Amino acid sequence: MLRGLAGRTSRRSLLSILGSVLTGAATLPLLPVARAAGSDQPSPSDPNSGETPPQRTGNPQDPGDPTKCDYWRYCAIDGSLCSCYGGTMNSCPPGTEMSPITWIGTCRNPADNRNYIISYNDCCGGVPWGRCACQNNLGDRPVVRPQNNNEVTWCFGTQSQSYTCSTAIILGVAIDQK
Amino acid sequence: MNKRVLLGICAAISACAALPAAAADFPTPLPAETIPKVETLPQKYPNSWAFLNYAGDRIELRNVGSDSREVKGELQAHDSATLLVAEQRPELYVIDTVWSRGARGTRTDFITVYDKQTLNVAGEIVLPGGKRALITAMEGLTTFTDDQRMELVFNFTPASSVTVVDLVNRRVLGDVEIPGCSLVYPTGNRGFSTLCASGTLLSVRLDAAGAVAGRAESKAFNPLDTDPLFTASAMASGIRYFPSLHGRVQPIDMRGDEVKILADWPLVTPAEAAASWRPSGWQILASDESKLLYVLMQPDAHEGSHKDPATEVWIYNVATKSRIKRLRLARPGSSISLTHGTEPLLLVQAGERLDAYQPLEGNLVRSMDLPGFRSRMQIETLR
Repeated sequence: MLRGLAGRTSRRSLLSILGSVLTGAATLPLLPVARAAGSDQPSPSDPNSGETPPQRTGNPQDPGDPTKCDYWRYCAIDGSLCSCYGGTMNSCPPGTEMSPITWIGTCRNPADNRNYIISYNDCCGGVPWGRCACQNNLGDRPVVRPQNNNEVTWCFGTQSQSYTCSTAIILGVAIDQK
Repeated sequence: MNKRVLLGICAAISACAALPAAAADFPTPLPAETIPKVETLPQKYPNSWAFLNYAGDRIELRNVGSDSREVKGELQAHDSATLLVAEQRPELYVIDTVWSRGARGTRTDFITVYDKQTLNVAGEIVLPGGKRALITAMEGLTTFTDDQRMELVFNFTPASSVTVVDLVNRRVLGDVEIPGCSLVYPTGNRGFSTLCASGTLLSVRLDAAGAVAGRAESKAFNPLDTDPLFTASAMASGIRYFPSLHGRVQPIDMRGDEVKILADWPLVTPAEAAASWRPSGWQILASDESKLLYVLMQPDAHEGSHKDPATEVWIYNVATKSRIKRLRLARPGSSISLTHGTEPLLLVQAGERLDAYQPLEGNLVRSMDLPGFRSRMQIETLR
């Protein structure tokens, strides 16, 4: 899919090409790091999130409840939490497929006060039913830069593009700490 | 035993027909009714009706201008479905995506053509390639052009392209690649503009066969790193207005083939900017199509709050570039639209309510329920 994308972007400016390729490049998180780092404003949580018993990661350096919208990694998530569907914050529920292509944000971990690059990989092809729906928009931007937008169904390169739920996976520590 | 109690007993044992006193009260029986019977709608819908699109999962036609609060009809919608309402033909068009086995199986993207009076399916156009953009239903995913003879569909795979559809002959004409650009806005007689990740606007002219007849790209004007434009827009006096995250409005003249980026102007004073008044919500803009622009605004805005419900609607005269009114909402709202006609109503989706205001008087005249509403709403008012 990335080869096809590159072939189709040959007539555009270098900046456009970079923007498009970054869409599919979860390992090259340059733009979102510069964009979102340093913002400590809380994001609103969706009231629908409080439907599950509390869960913990068991790691004091990874605090919070992964079934709730205010878990620190979910600062830019817009979707249903896989932790409520049989998956976890970094794995898909059984029977679904994780999209390798996604968008990324940057969230501050309150335990170690570091900014982490978070990959919001969607899980696809399963049964969506709206449980634990969260709308957090820290660092979200209009779809003109799709790689910075959380309204897109990020189910690409999967057998089904039907959305099920979203994960929030640590890619690494953001470079430009503030 | 009085008559009322006797009536109740009779009803319970299905013997009411034998009761002379009841028949005397109603000398004429209810007439036999027709089976089957299906409602139809008027050829031209009243402009006090509106389509409500529940994030592309469900589309319903509601009478928003009357206290009867009637649902007039429903259209199928599955995934990121978007609606176009034709004025040149008695048709509605819904773009949708399904899989043959629910959430798995063969994907089909298709346009359903509905008859406006019966809501029966009048035709179907299958879009090839499984590439239609699956994004929460919003402006820019599709549009008419060529005097509503063509429909344009934004695709995202994540490569960007636009599928050109001939609605008269109900067939796909072809694709236009728009790498690095997103969404479609109608431009000129037959064409579209699209917002690009380099901060420019790419405008594409089409020939009668739907092929590219010309391309023109503006200089960069959309500061995506500092104050990007929302992708929601509204038309006033033929000019399309896009608000920015921090409270500018960017007019663009897309009437001719040569698109003109006009001078932007502020929606907020320096004092209001200091209080972080900014546009926010989902469908954040409405207009009366002549001179008044309506913008959802929130105070104390911050990073990540740009889709939060807004507390006020600010009304601007685009001719004088000045605000004429602040309307404080009864409930914070996320999507707005204005009905057409002599006494327009401002419709505000506020959580699970749809509130209708007389905007210039500031009166909340009615509030309707939105059962099952979960995330985002796109309101389509009718001419």
